[in-house]
Amino acid sequence: MGKYILKRVLQFIPVFFGVTLILFLLQNVVPGDPIKMIAGDKVLDPAVELQMRVSYDLVQVDENGDPILDENGDPVPVPLPERYVNYIVDLFHGDLGRSYQRKLPVTDIFADKFPYTARLAVCAIILEAIMGIGAGIISAIKRYSFWDILVTLVTSIMVSLPAFWLGMLLQLFFGVYLHVLPLSGAGGGVASAYPEWMYYILPAFTLASVSMAYSARIMRSQLLDVMNQDYIRTARAKGLSNRSVIVHHALKNALIPVVTYIGVDFGSMLSGAILTETVFNWPGIGYEIYRAITQRDWPIVMGGVTIIIVVVMVINLLVDISYGFLDPRIRFGAPKDKS
Amino acid sequence: MADSKINQPVVGRRAFVGGTLAASSLAFLAACSNNNASNAGSSTGGDSAPAAGNTLNYYINNPVCIDPYNAQEDQGIQVVFQLFDTLTEYDFEKGEIVGLAAESFESNDDATQFTFHLKEATFHNGEAVTSQSFKRAWERIVNPSSAVASIYGPSEISYHLSVVKGYQELLDGSATELTGVTCPDDQTLVVDLNNPYADFAYVVSHPALSPVPEAADTDAENYYLAPIGNGPFKMDGKWEDGQEINVVRYDDYYGTTAKLDGVHFSIQRDQETAYREFQAGNLDVCDVPVAQIDAAKSDRGVSEDGYTMSDGQHMLLGSEPSTYYLTCNNTAEPFNNADFRRAISMAINREAICDSIFSGTRTPADGIVPPGIDGYQEGMWPYCKYDQAAAIELLDQLYPADGDGKRGITLQLSYNLDGGHQAIMESVISDLEAVGITCTSDTQEWAAILTEYQDLNYQFGRLGWIADYPIYDNFLYPLFHSDSLGGDNRSGYSNPEVDELINQARATVDTDQRIDLMHQADAIIGEDNPVIPLNFYTHQIAGSDRIAHLYIDPLKKADLSEAELA
Repeated sequence: MGKYILKRVLQFIPVFFGVTLILFLLQNVVPGDPIKMIAGDKVLDPAVELQMRVSYDLVQVDENGDPILDENGDPVPVPLPERYVNYIVDLFHGDLGRSYQRKLPVTDIFADKFPYTARLAVCAIILEAIMGIGAGIISAIKRYSFWDILVTLVTSIMVSLPAFWLGMLLQLFFGVYLHVLPLSGAGGGVASAYPEWMYYILPAFTLASVSMAYSARIMRSQLLDVMNQDYIRTARAKGLSNRSVIVHHALKNALIPVVTYIGVDFGSMLSGAILTETVFNWPGIGYEIYRAITQRDWPIVMGGVTIIIVVVMVINLLVDISYGFLDPRIRFGAPKDKS
Repeated sequence: MADSKINQPVVGRRAFVGGTLAASSLAFLAACSNNNASNAGSSTGGDSAPAAGNTLNYYINNPVCIDPYNAQEDQGIQVVFQLFDTLTEYDFEKGEIVGLAAESFESNDDATQFTFHLKEATFHNGEAVTSQSFKRAWERIVNPSSAVASIYGPSEISYHLSVVKGYQELLDGSATELTGVTCPDDQTLVVDLNNPYADFAYVVSHPALSPVPEAADTDAENYYLAPIGNGPFKMDGKWEDGQEINVVRYDDYYGTTAKLDGVHFSIQRDQETAYREFQAGNLDVCDVPVAQIDAAKSDRGVSEDGYTMSDGQHMLLGSEPSTYYLTCNNTAEPFNNADFRRAISMAINREAICDSIFSGTRTPADGIVPPGIDGYQEGMWPYCKYDQAAAIELLDQLYPADGDGKRGITLQLSYNLDGGHQAIMESVISDLEAVGITCTSDTQEWAAILTEYQDLNYQFGRLGWIADYPIYDNFLYPLFHSDSLGGDNRSGYSNPEVDELINQARATVDTDQRIDLMHQADAIIGEDNPVIPLNFYTHQIAGSDRIAHLYIDPLKKADLSEAELA
């Protein structure tokens, strides 16, 4: 197992450099000058614009910190390879640069916002796991019963509802109409009228809704699949109780695809849920990255992607490790069943 | 002021919602909000409102900056307004510029030197407000190596001070102070200008030019997030990014102390969500999404003067000094022909755009200078009206129509899809189709479009101009003066006669004479029709029943120190 983890961690290195390098190159391909964009519809004073480029290390400077000009009097941009190396070096010093639009250090912005995204993702994933897996098991065990049909119906609806729209409906119903839950924000401010945990209910449910439905359906079909396997028939023939057959034999095997799905989903939730965060005015990283992309705020985009890469790699690693617990063949390295 | 309200990407998502949802779901949504609209009346001010008591809950979008250092868009500026008092302010009711932090002010005869006499006042930390506080604040903005600049980068709004002597030297690092600003004593501030600029007293009304205490230099990093000012409210805690900004009454304020205990600025990134919070009774002041305007009008009651909320009149629809216009590339075919620009201008049905897209809240433009600007005259631009017959007549001379009514000319309209511009642009395109001109859309992201405009590499596109100061000069000089070419003059328009008149106006101290010269310049520009104004912005602000009195001026500055709750 240790060797396996080490291998996965080593794989992380080329992926990390590959993704950051591609993004870095993209900055030069995508049209639009991020520095010119800072002033919105207005135009920056050329002198201010130049200082701006100096302050973001985009142009070469002499030892006094003054920009070096070429024969036409234009500033000389720092070559891209050099900027990339600078970025990586700064990164290992914990410095992700400063936002073009927001001016604040990128690390401050993410340190401020990532906890919100993470807490929301954890709430959503717990909801998704409990309700999705639970509903899937019920509908598989009670196949073709009322409960099965209900789960199928509800999941079909949830899959087809756009998350942000569901969010709006929930807001209108629970927040505006019934006045029982907070509409938006993360609470904790002086003006919060509700306990802080209540602010998580609607966004977490909205964020979890689509995946909850998917995981219920995956769970159902997997469990039904497994229940038809020979070893289940064997277990039953041994005289085990139905409960024992399902919990100890069927469930563990049926869980692997669901755990994979939920794991991947958790990774994407941690990368920030743009629509949910926007509808619920959640102070997380999703909206921040979205804004940064539209405004060409590259330091935020780069910082955000760097964080996402790390998060996704770690989650994938955890998912892989969890397989070992669910399937001893993976844990003990036994050859896979070819049947 | 950045065009933030036009560029909010979240508005684009709204349009997406409208486009993709089935009619039934919209009906359901509408039913819900109607239900609630009647609810909101009774619930606002009730037990559900958080931060009850004498605190106002005010919606703002994510601000860029609340330190005067970079105060530029209307959201951040709203907070700066409450924390700081500038030297002067424009009194829209009287129609004149009056002292605020300054007791009085005067200029010399050729408008190159301004003297401000300050009132005795203190900052929120007890430090006295002196002429040095202003000099410090202004140098901090211009100086690229000021304490705040070394942390947060150079200020984007130093252009306000570009007329002040010594600006260029301080900006390029050859000087260490703004030599044009001198402080003969603590209560007197003298400003020398490079060129005559009679409107300078208006310039200093911009919140970016507020005074700052020593802490702004010595503790620049924290000051940026929790500025200390001289205004009627002071910060309570710091700016919680994406969440809230709280201010409380400053009891030692030199003017009339505020009636409110404080203001809770709730930072909402999505206007729709904000409005739902308003409907739930959690916000007292909120911008109204266009789709909700009609419901809000009848439910909230439209304010008589458009700017003042009072009992039963909580919906503000007064006009703002901002213009939405089509910018034309005057340097290339076919828009280098004035007759062609006139024809296009007359082919567009502005009334229909305002009615169908903005529910009648925006008003059709009749020139580049909107109402609310000192000297505004109705019908200033002769071709800025809908007259299809006249448009066809002009076009027949330039591009005669063939048998199908087509003129064999194809235009390209460059604009960004986010920010809700598409509906307006499509309306323009169909109006042009009606006079035989085929028009295609070049839709890209704002960043790319901006570059095209900047390089004059376009035919025509769209822009918004939001006045920094409510003066004629703030439209004509940046948009049409030759000095602004390569800057905000993105149409490439240049007319020596206009330049001369604007220069003369700038050097004229007498207000009436100055406005008269501006009118002469504007008349020539209107005749040349270098750009095509479409509409003027208006307030779309609703208030809750808790509000007994609140005035929000045309520049969107809320007079919260005078505000009262029921």
